Amino acid sequence: MRNFSDYDPFAVSVWFFAVTGMAMFCNYPVLMLISLAGGILFFLVRNGTKHAKSHLFFFMLFAVLAIANPIVSHNGMTVLFVVNDSPVTLEAVLYGLNSAAMIVGVLYWFRSYTQLMTSDKLLSVTGRLSPKISLLLSMALRCVPMLRRQADRTADAQKAMGLFKDDNIIDDIHGNIRVFSAVTTWALENGITSADSMAARGFGTGRRTQMRKYKLRRSDIIFMAVTIGLLGVCVAAAAHGSFEFGFYPLTDRICPDTAGKFGIAAYALLVSVPTIIETEAALKWRYLKSKI
Amino acid sequence: MIVIKSRTLRNTIKVAVPFIIVPALAFAGAIAFDRKRHIIISLAIAVFALLLFAAGFEKKSTGTRRQVIVSVMTALCFIGRFIPFLKPVSALTIITALYLGSESGFLVGAMSAVLSNFYFGHGPWTAFQMLAWGMIGLFAGILAEPLKRNKVLLLIYGLAAGLAYSFIMDIWTVLWYAGKFDIKLYISALGTAIPYTISYAVSNVLFLSLLAKPFGEKLGRIKIKYGV
Repeated sequence: MRNFSDYDPFAVSVWFFAVTGMAMFCNYPVLMLISLAGGILFFLVRNGTKHAKSHLFFFMLFAVLAIANPIVSHNGMTVLFVVNDSPVTLEAVLYGLNSAAMIVGVLYWFRSYTQLMTSDKLLSVTGRLSPKISLLLSMALRCVPMLRRQADRTADAQKAMGLFKDDNIIDDIHGNIRVFSAVTTWALENGITSADSMAARGFGTGRRTQMRKYKLRRSDIIFMAVTIGLLGVCVAAAAHGSFEFGFYPLTDRICPDTAGKFGIAAYALLVSVPTIIETEAALKWRYLKSKI
Repeated sequence: MIVIKSRTLRNTIKVAVPFIIVPALAFAGAIAFDRKRHIIISLAIAVFALLLFAAGFEKKSTGTRRQVIVSVMTALCFIGRFIPFLKPVSALTIITALYLGSESGFLVGAMSAVLSNFYFGHGPWTAFQMLAWGMIGLFAGILAEPLKRNKVLLLIYGLAAGLAYSFIMDIWTVLWYAGKFDIKLYISALGTAIPYTISYAVSNVLFLSLLAKPFGEKLGRIKIKYGV
């Protein structure tokens, strides 16, 4: 009954790269449509009707990408109309629509992925791969708010010393540069101090641990197995050549063979797994709430 | 970006990646994938290139003190990306590389991409951004001596880095869009990216001319004081 965001971050990453990888690797229109629809649906399930601006941006991007191809590419046999002596073909339009669906779909997935994978989850995944890089990332993440606090403090101190005249823009810039310089020097010195302190406490001598423990539960393992199984079916269908699709000179007709049908079904299932999990969790919560 | 501990594995990667894996991938891309799937090939090559750089990092050169300074510089890059229109990431990467060596420069560039994309949005382009910024840092580190001595040369390097960044990222744009490399699309992509290219180049030159000296003094001081 966990939300999708509570699943093991590594399992979530595997699933995510399976979905986007298939979308980027194949140019089969049905898959593109599933990926785009699934990406939008999942984003909506997680965020509701918020982020109207992002939807507008994605829609504009879709339009621009779809129009770009027929403008630069004049391949294809079915000429729709002629602009400035260059033909606009049906095939190029379809190709543009397909590419735009792929790109916008993947963008939606990445948007949701960035929301799902908060920095501590990323650190837990990179920590399993390389503790050193994980440490570097976490220290840099910690540095950002720390630098801001120190900058405020320095600015206050310099104001108290009468070094700022706020009414003068040139003076203001000079003052901010002075603060920035002081903070940078402080940050570097402070970094060395923490490095020495870490070394004194035996950094690098033992195994590194994470702040948050992600224990692999049974549902994580099931989720990962399902992901890999469905991806396997998709890859098999792709290897069989069922997802080959040509746009030029004449666009192929969409008539998948048996392997292709299985592949499409598997991909649709793969894409909807987190949506199912989220919906199930939401329904269960609602059900429990009404009982109390 | 993994710091590899085993020396044999590191050496194997150093030989295998440039001489076997990358050409093999390129050939496979040309033959097996029928020139349609260049995006996968280029993503794979980008990942292997990052692995190659990781293989070059000796354990000593990423000692705790240096590592902490690298993370401070990465944080500064991250904050710098919030400045509208002007992006100091490349400039800060170059400065780090000049004073702390090419490996640190590469790390700052690559890690800034990973970190700041949490805010600006991760995508398949993250690998290319890591590679582009990392390379800018790496070459700055290799050319450190002449660049430190001659300010004009440094500004020219900044300008070139800004252009190169845009060119590399547009290769990616075209590959992603078309699935293959199309020179016509590439040129039109470069055309639409001109404002960005100019902004990259201008911000590099501006920030290098503003920051190179004070940051150089600070980093140099830290280096002498603590022997990083």
